[in-house]
Amino acid sequence: MISNMSFFERIIYLLQNYGVSYMKGAGTTLVIAIVSTFIGCVIGFAVGIVQTIPLDEKRDSLLKRVVIRAIKVILRCYVELFRGTPMIVQAVFIYYGAAQLFNITLGMWQSAFLVVSINTGAYMAESVRGGIISVDPGQMEGAKAIGMTHFQAMINVIMPQAFRNIIPQIGNNFIINIKDTSVLSIISIVDLFFVHKSVAGALYTYFESATIVMAIYLCMTVISSKLLNLWEKFLDGSENFELVDNMDIGNQMNKAKRKGGR
Amino acid sequence: MAENNRILTVSHLVKNFGTHEVLRDIDFTVDKKDVISIIGASGSGKSTLLRCINLLETPTGGHIYYHDKDITDAKMDIYGYREKVGMVFQNFNLFHNLSVLENCMVGPIKVKKQKKDRARELAMTFLNKVGMDQYINAKPRQLSGGQQQRVAIARALAMEPEVLLFDEPTSALDPQMVGEVLNVMSTLASEGMTMLIVTHEMAFARDISSHVVFMADGVIEEEGSSEDIFVHPQKDKTKEFLSRFRNL
Ligand SMILES: Nc1ncnc2c1ncn2[C@@H]1O[C@H](COP(=O)(O)OP(=O)(O)OP(=O)(O)O)[C@@H](O)[C@H]1O
Ligand SMILES: [Mg+2]
Repeated sequence: MISNMSFFERIIYLLQNYGVSYMKGAGTTLVIAIVSTFIGCVIGFAVGIVQTIPLDEKRDSLLKRVVIRAIKVILRCYVELFRGTPMIVQAVFIYYGAAQLFNITLGMWQSAFLVVSINTGAYMAESVRGGIISVDPGQMEGAKAIGMTHFQAMINVIMPQAFRNIIPQIGNNFIINIKDTSVLSIISIVDLFFVHKSVAGALYTYFESATIVMAIYLCMTVISSKLLNLWEKFLDGSENFELVDNMDIGNQMNKAKRKGGR
Repeated sequence: MAENNRILTVSHLVKNFGTHEVLRDIDFTVDKKDVISIIGASGSGKSTLLRCINLLETPTGGHIYYHDKDITDAKMDIYGYREKVGMVFQNFNLFHNLSVLENCMVGPIKVKKQKKDRARELAMTFLNKVGMDQYINAKPRQLSGGQQQRVAIARALAMEPEVLLFDEPTSALDPQMVGEVLNVMSTLASEGMTMLIVTHEMAFARDISSHVVFMADGVIEEEGSSEDIFVHPQKDKTKEFLSRFRNL
């Protein structure tokens, strides 16, 4: 009977019968994207901040320098590894490989969150590093000149400014994650794309189902980028400031006016 | 005794960038209430000298003593030292993410661990002194260069330093804003603030300084009182340099 329907009738049919499945799939996609972007950002910030720790040949102990260098090299490898390989392969590698290599059994959910998070972390690490080094070096010098340590300067001066530059990257990664969770269907995660494959495969409605799924993906990404824009605007704060009337001149003038008026 | 008044002693200071010798065997001292101007041609090493003094650059050789402590010693607490030696930069370097008031409070609170109320009080005192107390809610980017530089001076003062280093504090300013910054600096000098000033404002250096240092090619070519340098310079290089400035 579905074969006799028109394109629009098929879409309505799919929505009526599988609407809930699509929504559930979209929900899964969103949850993975939100959680993994968040964890990925935490990883990215940590890695980016560690990568920009300066080493003072003269004042830092040899041990400290060696340890930090080693950590930096390891983090560099992490970034290169996860930026340089496809997420779909990483998902398979971790889901099937972790059990064999390290004898840990990861569920598909754990694997999904893990893969997307560390993938995002690798990209975010580079964005954070870029955000930090793009802050005017004068800011760090100003902070040092009043006696701040590198860490104090990072917390109070550099990161708040770098963060503003990094937000668009967070948004970018979130949108990429919404789309890229689709590859997780390879480890049987029932996300939006998985729902599409099942529905379309069973009913032979590839075009119609794809239309629905594209629309849902597009809604999610457009709404997300809108929200991120609003967040940026909010963080930028007001363009204006008010002079502070320390001498109470305004009040005195008002009083004078009132007196004069009577 | 004069020794008690001594704050800084720079001894045989050397700074190389790679093979480039920027400072060669610099010796001089800073006593309490000194106002020392450092003048000299572009590239003579004036900024590098100031940056070595508060350890933004690591000296290649020689020593810098703060009272009797050698701050070039690797074990020295450079953060505690920098609290005591304030710096005002050519490009202000105010913290862009913070308001004027926060710029002046962040050091006392985070570095000196002062109470918020006390830090605010102190910040307001100094912002008032530089005439910027009305602008406490402004962000640096909303201010003119002269206003930013005055805030930067207040920020440095809020740390209650023993010495203030100025690296060409008016060079990035439009001519009509130079005066407001120089006025603040004159006031500080007259109140007994110890200052080390790198400047190209020769008339200002002449009028304000207790001591003038003329640098050329990484060495102190000539030094002396304001009169010694500006009225009776001895060395040819000094004469040649000063002849470039009219109206002196
Ligand atoms: N980080 C650096 N690396 C390499 N060379 C440097 C560095 N900083 C300064 N120099 C060099 O050191 C020399 C002195 O520079 P410095 O900035 O101290 O001069 P200056 O007297 O302050 O000049 P100006 O009046 O133009 O500010 C210059 O030749 C400069 O190129
Ligand atoms: Mg300079």
